[in-house]
Amino acid sequence: MRTILVLVRKDFQNFFRNKAAVSLTFIVPFAMIWLFGNIFGVNKKDSGPSGIPLAVVNASDNPAAVKLVEALQAEKSFRVWTKFVNPDKSTRPLTEDDLRPMLREAGADVHFALVIPADLVSATGFGLHLKILSNPRNEIETQTVNGILQKTIFTTIPQLLGQSLQSSAKRLIGDDRFKQFNGAIAGAVSSAFGGDKEQIQQSIEAGDFGLGTALGGAGKTPANAADATASTDVLSRIVRIENEQVVGAQVKSPFATSIVGGWAMQFLLFAVSASAASLFRERDAGIFQRVLAAPVTRAQILWGKFLYGVSIGLVQLIVLFFAGRILFGIEVEKHLGLLILVCTFAAAACTSFGMLLAAVAPNAEAANGMATFLIMLMSALGGAWFPISIMPAFIQQFSKLTLVYWSMEGFSAVLWAGNSFVQVLPILGILGGITAVVMTIAVWRFNRGKIFE
Amino acid sequence: MLNVAHLTKRYGALTALDGVSLHVARGEFFGLLGPNGAGKSTLMSLVAGLRAADTGVLTLDGVAIVTADPSTRVALGLVPQHIALYPELSAVQNLRIFGQLYGLHGTVLRERVTEALAAVQLTDRGQDQVKTFSGGMQRRLNLVAALLHRPKFLLCDEPTVGVDPQSRNAIFEYLERLNREGLTIIYSTHYMEEATRLCSRIGIIDHGKILALGTLDELLTKLPFEEEIRFPATPTTAGLAAQLPSHGELLTLDGIHRFRPRPDYKLSAFFTLVESLGLPARLFTSQRPTLEALFLHLTGRNLRE
Repeated sequence: MRTILVLVRKDFQNFFRNKAAVSLTFIVPFAMIWLFGNIFGVNKKDSGPSGIPLAVVNASDNPAAVKLVEALQAEKSFRVWTKFVNPDKSTRPLTEDDLRPMLREAGADVHFALVIPADLVSATGFGLHLKILSNPRNEIETQTVNGILQKTIFTTIPQLLGQSLQSSAKRLIGDDRFKQFNGAIAGAVSSAFGGDKEQIQQSIEAGDFGLGTALGGAGKTPANAADATASTDVLSRIVRIENEQVVGAQVKSPFATSIVGGWAMQFLLFAVSASAASLFRERDAGIFQRVLAAPVTRAQILWGKFLYGVSIGLVQLIVLFFAGRILFGIEVEKHLGLLILVCTFAAAACTSFGMLLAAVAPNAEAANGMATFLIMLMSALGGAWFPISIMPAFIQQFSKLTLVYWSMEGFSAVLWAGNSFVQVLPILGILGGITAVVMTIAVWRFNRGKIFE
Repeated sequence: MLNVAHLTKRYGALTALDGVSLHVARGEFFGLLGPNGAGKSTLMSLVAGLRAADTGVLTLDGVAIVTADPSTRVALGLVPQHIALYPELSAVQNLRIFGQLYGLHGTVLRERVTEALAAVQLTDRGQDQVKTFSGGMQRRLNLVAALLHRPKFLLCDEPTVGVDPQSRNAIFEYLERLNREGLTIIYSTHYMEEATRLCSRIGIIDHGKILALGTLDELLTKLPFEEEIRFPATPTTAGLAAQLPSHGELLTLDGIHRFRPRPDYKLSAFFTLVESLGLPARLFTSQRPTLEALFLHLTGRNLRE
């Protein structure tokens, strides 16, 4: 054991003498976590996309169309363009003819445009008519824009659907009977709930059925029903969803807690793979010859490397979680004991992976190449980059074969769910099993390989 | 002390050592001379216990050197061909690590490290990173790192490769002193001059076989001539060169004729012939044959080919 500790101490001395290694292990991941955290708006109340350029052409004379444009302008996700800038810097309203060349232009900022046509509310059928023109270079961006547009349209101007219904009814039953029908409804509402019958009839004919007030929006009149918040309430009142968060409700920084572990694992894998590749440097420098000429066995060298990898990995993970604590308020101290335990098992699994790479690769360059490929693959499959639930079902099966997945499950069980030691035990068992299997293969390969010759 | 009997080591189809047998007595400075790829490093690695032989016996003080048993290595010190040091660490840190691997610690380790640095004139650079050292300084540190545990037997595998003459000389003097103090040394080299200067007994190795073994004088008696006469290979000397093969061996290397007369051919007869051809005496040098000549005689090749 004494020999192994000498070898571990030697690796730590080498590590701390190498400023580049220290910064790549601690400072760079710290900076990256800060950077990614800000990119993804971790812990920001108004997180999500912002300022996506959207060209809007309003060819409708419907007053609700103006409200839609105003609502889009108020939506922080979009930067709405409604003007065309002439070469002399003068401006004019955008037209539909301007949009296609604008979207085709190389390097154009605008990839999405909304046209509100003159026939926004169909005169011949039920429904609304809108046009979205796009240059969908990025699928995620396209889906995001479509989603936000739909939400804004249906929450901002629900009365347009009412207008469409009114228009259809008018066409079917004729002008006179249509007015009689609306008058009768307005009279009934007025006598049952109060209010001015004429005003209620005007609202009904404008397509606003007064859902906001009728369903308990006290103080809200049809005139302010276009307000986004009130309209969202309208939708939520139509479909009432009770939302109860069973796990993680007490977590102060939920987003950061769920994603910092994934980033930390990725950095750890890179660091541990680099430390395992140091086996090649020592071989090439002839240091193994000298060490093995002393009363040292190959197994002691390997266990020394393994213990060093686990130690440096554990330190790195804890430092990165504390970075998450400092930057994003992750509650680390509350679960520190269990977190250290999970980090130890995660570091052991990562180190065994690094050892296996060094055992199967013929040289340091090959080991680095293989490491980059496998780390990317495991990080993606294991859910370090995005939730595995959005992956196809057959890919999700492979996720559970990765140490990244189980490490993240462990972090989540401790930091998110606040599980006890007994509850975390199965995850520790799996990580321990991965370590044992991978290290067995690595040692077997080391004994067959030529790294010590 | 060290006994090597019928040692064979193969790497696939390549036979690196082919039935090597030799004995190194306590206190000897034994040289292993041969060109690159002759099998010197393989023999060193087997003696150091780094690899196992395919066949043969290898004992140190009567105890078999077994790869799986590291305890036999305590009596050995290995100076690898490479500079096997951690470049990012200081000289002191390097020495401490290698000392600790032999079980040294505390005051004893501190004293040994101090002594080792002083022995190779690196005391004032002890705290500096090894990567800042010159090649010669690194070589000297590489040497003393193998001596911290005071081995009985030192294996030096071409320890002066790439070293400037001054550092090489310092290394030679240090090794000679250690040998005088009783350390047994096996020194592998492809430099004839090093083997000639340092070694009391020399084994010439090529293609995994020991071709000759003995003291310098013993080895040189294996040559069928006692003198070697050298003269330039020019048109002026072409007539002389044409007549010499009937009186001995004539080799031409690097524009120089090397004439090795048969024992029955007198030098006086040679110089009479030179005089008769009108060649000036200043063209000719006569010298005692060297290990280089012996190697050439044994293998038909130069040591550094």
